[in-house]
Amino acid sequence: MASVNRKWTDGMLTTEDWWAVWIGLTLFGAGLLSIWGIDAVGWMAKTKTWEWTSFWSSPDFDKLLGVAHGKAGKAYEGWSGFGALLMTYLVFGVVTAIGAYFQKLDVKKFILGFATIFFITFAAWMTGHEAHFKAAKTSQSMLQSEIYGSDVYCLTKVHKCTGMINKALKELGVDVATGDIPTREQAAQAVDKTKKAIRMSWGLQLGGGFSYMLSLFVGLIIGNFMKGFAGFLKEAAKPEWFIKTAIVYLGVKLGHMSISSTAKVGAGGELMLDLALAGAAAAFVAYLIFWPIVYTLGRKAFKLKRDASAVLASGISICGVSAAIATAGAIRAKPILPIAVSMLIVVFAMIELVVLPTAYTAMAPEQPIVNAAAMGMTVKTDGADAAAGAILDELMVSSHYIASGELWEEDWILAGAVLTKIWIDVFIGVWAFVLALIWVYKVERRPDQAHVGLSEIWFRFPKFVLGYFIAWLTYVAIVIWFPESAKAADAGANIVQSPMRKMMFMLTFVAIGVITDFSKLKGMGRLTLLYAIALFAIIAPIAYGVSYLFHRGLVPPIVTG
Amino acid sequence: MKAQVEFKLSHDGDQWIGRNGDLFVSGETMQLLDNDICRVLQESGQFPRGTRVRVFLGFDFDTIPTWLRQYHTHYFNRLVTLTL
Repeated sequence: MASVNRKWTDGMLTTEDWWAVWIGLTLFGAGLLSIWGIDAVGWMAKTKTWEWTSFWSSPDFDKLLGVAHGKAGKAYEGWSGFGALLMTYLVFGVVTAIGAYFQKLDVKKFILGFATIFFITFAAWMTGHEAHFKAAKTSQSMLQSEIYGSDVYCLTKVHKCTGMINKALKELGVDVATGDIPTREQAAQAVDKTKKAIRMSWGLQLGGGFSYMLSLFVGLIIGNFMKGFAGFLKEAAKPEWFIKTAIVYLGVKLGHMSISSTAKVGAGGELMLDLALAGAAAAFVAYLIFWPIVYTLGRKAFKLKRDASAVLASGISICGVSAAIATAGAIRAKPILPIAVSMLIVVFAMIELVVLPTAYTAMAPEQPIVNAAAMGMTVKTDGADAAAGAILDELMVSSHYIASGELWEEDWILAGAVLTKIWIDVFIGVWAFVLALIWVYKVERRPDQAHVGLSEIWFRFPKFVLGYFIAWLTYVAIVIWFPESAKAADAGANIVQSPMRKMMFMLTFVAIGVITDFSKLKGMGRLTLLYAIALFAIIAPIAYGVSYLFHRGLVPPIVTG
Repeated sequence: MKAQVEFKLSHDGDQWIGRNGDLFVSGETMQLLDNDICRVLQESGQFPRGTRVRVFLGFDFDTIPTWLRQYHTHYFNRLVTLTL
């Protein structure tokens, strides 16, 4: 009975959940070879910020894309951006095709679909990195525009670009670190000498958020207006697989953040602990506050049957599709019920993903961690939550920088949204077990005949979480116990946690758009109304209130240097 | 708790269906399915009347639509003790 879970090892080769762990940890392990001077991941393609007039004056693909190699990867130095793109496709094309084979997907369709999604993703990613959309102003341009002008933007990270201009000034004999103030001419010379600084008449300063939104938009266009094409891509449009792999890579990033922030900024380590503890509270809220309210609403106000109400309550309140299937299984509901509810959840998750990051950024621009945790509690499905967290991160960091000139470290907001959601995810097995007991003893009343096995908890446990914690703890262990290897480990880990992770996010954005078909809401009027009421009148406000209680005033560490 | 009989379980939209080689059972509810299992096992002659038989029903996750399997990997397993 291969498609039935019997042993604790069942599914290790046949489920996307486990394949997220295998692909995530394999590439993380490959990255760690940098400890021994081997750069096994330096081939990864990395997008660059580019400006279109400069590009069209001398078109060159290398202006759009580079190679991500670290210090150990001298062999990749001569590679072109296009070469890196092909190598990245080959590596991920092969590992995902192997995964698809073991998951019993149609491998031929998967390979064709994945190739198409991959190149659409990179096209959207590169387009979104055009400087007018992405680039932020230098801090000199933000804070001393009367000297530098208000039109100087960065083609790299803001603090690096700012540092480069200051270095150029120092070479001109102006040391801003000691309080020297340059003349307008000196400032202009320094900007001209800085290759990564550019003058532009306008810029939206959206950071990487524009690439995310563009990918999502492209995916949604395909999913809703090009349905034949969406059908062709469907076999490879696996947002949950992609995002779970990305979350394993995020574990590396979190290890990096916990170590570096504790070392540099004491508050950073505390913030990580705070996020973890509040995540536990979020799980309490989802299971013991949201669920009973939505279940009662379904039963009393919408007159739903007991099983429909339970499945819907889990889907809306806990962790989306996964919770709906787990609950339906626990209470022995007909499979058609979670399938119908899942269609609803997927569409609503998309609405949440589009609406909430912008709404939270506008509503509470100075409460980044509150917004992140509220997102983790409100947005259902891992893919939509992590995607919404990523957009929120980009939007809030950019808007805070534009408003204050102060730059928050990136990815803390994303980490807040994901950590909160993971806390909720890990208890779904326990919740389903409890529901199964209630159904056997109180609803079916057949305690002498039916038995509920503890193994059900393990079968429902989200396995990618194991990969996430293994990556996180391994990185922290290396830095703590082998400090002499930390820098070398960082070289490979940085490639995994940055361009590789971001690529998996980008693939998720396109794939989640492709599988979202808003026309699926037709004919689901009553359930749709219940979902909308529960989400916007109950879950979103309570989630925000709880997040505010725990996280108000918390902000990510500030980038210095 | 080893089962004496195993069925691969699915749902055809109307009824729960259990299959084990030549054995085929069905029922609109779990209770009716269990009744049918008793009937089929009695008729098979494998167990004497009055025997308590432990039956494992493992849901065939391959019957869940492919697009949905990425979200969760398990529906349910059911272990029941039936008196024939």
